[in-house]
Amino acid sequence: MLSQIAFWGAVELGLVFAFVAIGVFLAFRVLDFPDLTVDGSFPLGAAVAAVLITAGINPWLSAGIAMVAGGAAGMVTAFLNVRFRILNLLASILTMIALFSVNLRVMGKPNVALINADTMLSPFFGLGLREVYVRPLFLGVLVILAIVLVWRFLESDAGLAMRATGANPRMARAQGVDTRWQVYLGLALSNALVALGGALFAQTNGFADVTSGVGTIVVGLAAVIIGETLFGARGILLALIGCVVGSILYRIAIQVALSTDALGLKASDLNLVTAVLVAVALVLPRLRRGAPQ
Amino acid sequence: MIDLSNIHVVFGKGTPLQKEALKGVNLTIEQGSFVTVIGSNGAGKSTLLGVLAGDLLASEGKVTIGTTDVTRKSTAARAGLVARVFQDPLTGSCGALSIEENLALAARRGERRGLQSALGSGRRDLFRDRIAELNLGLESRMKDRMDLLSGGQRQAVSLVMATLSGSEVLLLDEHTAALDPGMAEFIMKLTQRVVSERKLTTLMVTHSMRQALDFGHRTIMLHGGEIILDVSGDSRKDLQVEDLIAMFRKMRGETLDDDALLIG
Repeated sequence: MLSQIAFWGAVELGLVFAFVAIGVFLAFRVLDFPDLTVDGSFPLGAAVAAVLITAGINPWLSAGIAMVAGGAAGMVTAFLNVRFRILNLLASILTMIALFSVNLRVMGKPNVALINADTMLSPFFGLGLREVYVRPLFLGVLVILAIVLVWRFLESDAGLAMRATGANPRMARAQGVDTRWQVYLGLALSNALVALGGALFAQTNGFADVTSGVGTIVVGLAAVIIGETLFGARGILLALIGCVVGSILYRIAIQVALSTDALGLKASDLNLVTAVLVAVALVLPRLRRGAPQ
Repeated sequence: MIDLSNIHVVFGKGTPLQKEALKGVNLTIEQGSFVTVIGSNGAGKSTLLGVLAGDLLASEGKVTIGTTDVTRKSTAARAGLVARVFQDPLTGSCGALSIEENLALAARRGERRGLQSALGSGRRDLFRDRIAELNLGLESRMKDRMDLLSGGQRQAVSLVMATLSGSEVLLLDEHTAALDPGMAEFIMKLTQRVVSERKLTTLMVTHSMRQALDFGHRTIMLHGGEIILDVSGDSRKDLQVEDLIAMFRKMRGETLDDDALLIG
C-alpha cells in the first residue's frame, strides 16, 4: 500500500484543497452558481502570496492579501453576471481566462520559487515534530477554523439570506433579501477561500506556478460530491466536514491508484482517474436509492 | 394604507404586441381594511399585485404604502412594508431550509441581517409557539426541511411567516387555489383570524366569487385593466354570487361585440 510519507503527503494536499472544496460548496451548493473562476483564483492566491513573501512581506499578511485578491476575482464574475446578465457559467469562464494573464503579470514569469523563504509554517518546524507531520497538523488547525467560521456564518441571519438566494431567489426577494448583493458576497467569499488554498499550496510546496490552477474546479467538486455521498444532506456542519473528508479521501484514492503497480497507472493518467472517481461518487447515491431509471 | 394613483402599466412598449395591462387605476385602501379582488384572466389582477409587491414597476403613476412612496422601489427594498403569500406553495417558502429557518428568514424581513445566530436568543421557542397555534402538529417538526410538508401545510407556514415582522400590507395571490377544498377552507379561516388579530391592510386576489364576497370589507372587480366595480358596506351585503356572474357574462359579451365590429 502507501508509504507513511506518501500517505501524509496525500493528507496534506487534501487539507490544502479542503479550502477549495469549501469555496466550491459555497458557490455550487449554497448559491447554486456554477463558478469556474476557481481555476484562476487558486493560482492567483498562490502567485500573490509567493510574490509578496519573496519580497519580504509577512507570510500571514501575504496570505490575507491573497484572499482579498481572490475575493476581488469572485466579484468580477459576480459583476459580469449580475450587472450585465451574462450566463453564470460563461461569466466565470471569462474571469478564469483573464486571470491566467493576470497571474503572469503578478509573478512576472511563469513560476516563483519559495525554497528558502520564511512561510507561515516556518516557526513550527523547529519544535521537534517531523516536518511530514507538522504540515498536515498546521493545515488541519486552519481547516477546522475555516469550517467553524463558515458554519457559523451560514447559520446566521446573513447566511440564511445567502442560502435562500441560492434555493429560492423569488422568495428571498419577497423577504427583503437583495439577491444581487448576495451573489457578490457569496462569490467573493468562495474565491477568497480558494485563493487561501492557493496561498497555502505555494507555501507547503515551495513554489507558485501559473499552470497549477488547471482542473482545480474538478478537484473541488470531486471533494464536495464524495463528501455528500458519505454524509448525505444532513445539515450545514456535516456538509462542510464532508468537503474536508472528501478532499482527503480523494487524494488518498489518487495516491493508491497511482502507486498500485498492479493497475499499471502512470502520473499522466491522473485526470482519467479523477474523472472515474467523480463519476463513481455521482453514481453511488443513485445505486443506494435503488435501480436507476 | 395603500394608495395607487393613476397607475399605468404597459408591456412591450413600442412593439406591435404592446399591451396596456393597467389603464390609470386609482385605488385607496384604508389602514386595516380587507379588500378582495376578482376579474377574468388578463383583467390585470396579477399586474396590480405585482405593482404593489415591486415585481413590476408602473410606467406611470404613484404607489404609496403606509406613508412611503414605493413607486420606484425594488421588491427587496419594499419587503419591510409588504408581506406576501403566493399561489404556488413552493414559491412562498424555501424548500431547502427547515421550518424554523424559514421563519427566521421572515422574522428579519426588511431589517438588516447580521452575523448573530439566526435561531439564537429565544427565537427558536417563539417560532415553535407561533407554529403550535396552527394546530397542525408541525411544532414537533421544526427542524424538518420545508419540502417535506404538504402544499396546505406550506401555505399555513407561509401565513405565519407573513405575520412575523410588522408589515404594513398583506398581499394574498390566490393563495388557496392550489389546495384541496378542506385545506383551502382551513387556510381561509386562518387568514381571516390572522388579518383581524393583526389588523393588517389586506389585498386578496381570488378566482372564487364566493370567497370574494364572504371575506373582507370591500370587493373590487377588474376588467381590461380598469376597476369596473367597487362595492363595500350595505350594497356589498346585498350582492349575490349570481350578480357577479351576470356581470362577468355581460363583459364577455362586450368583448365579443368588439371582435365582431373588427371583423365585420
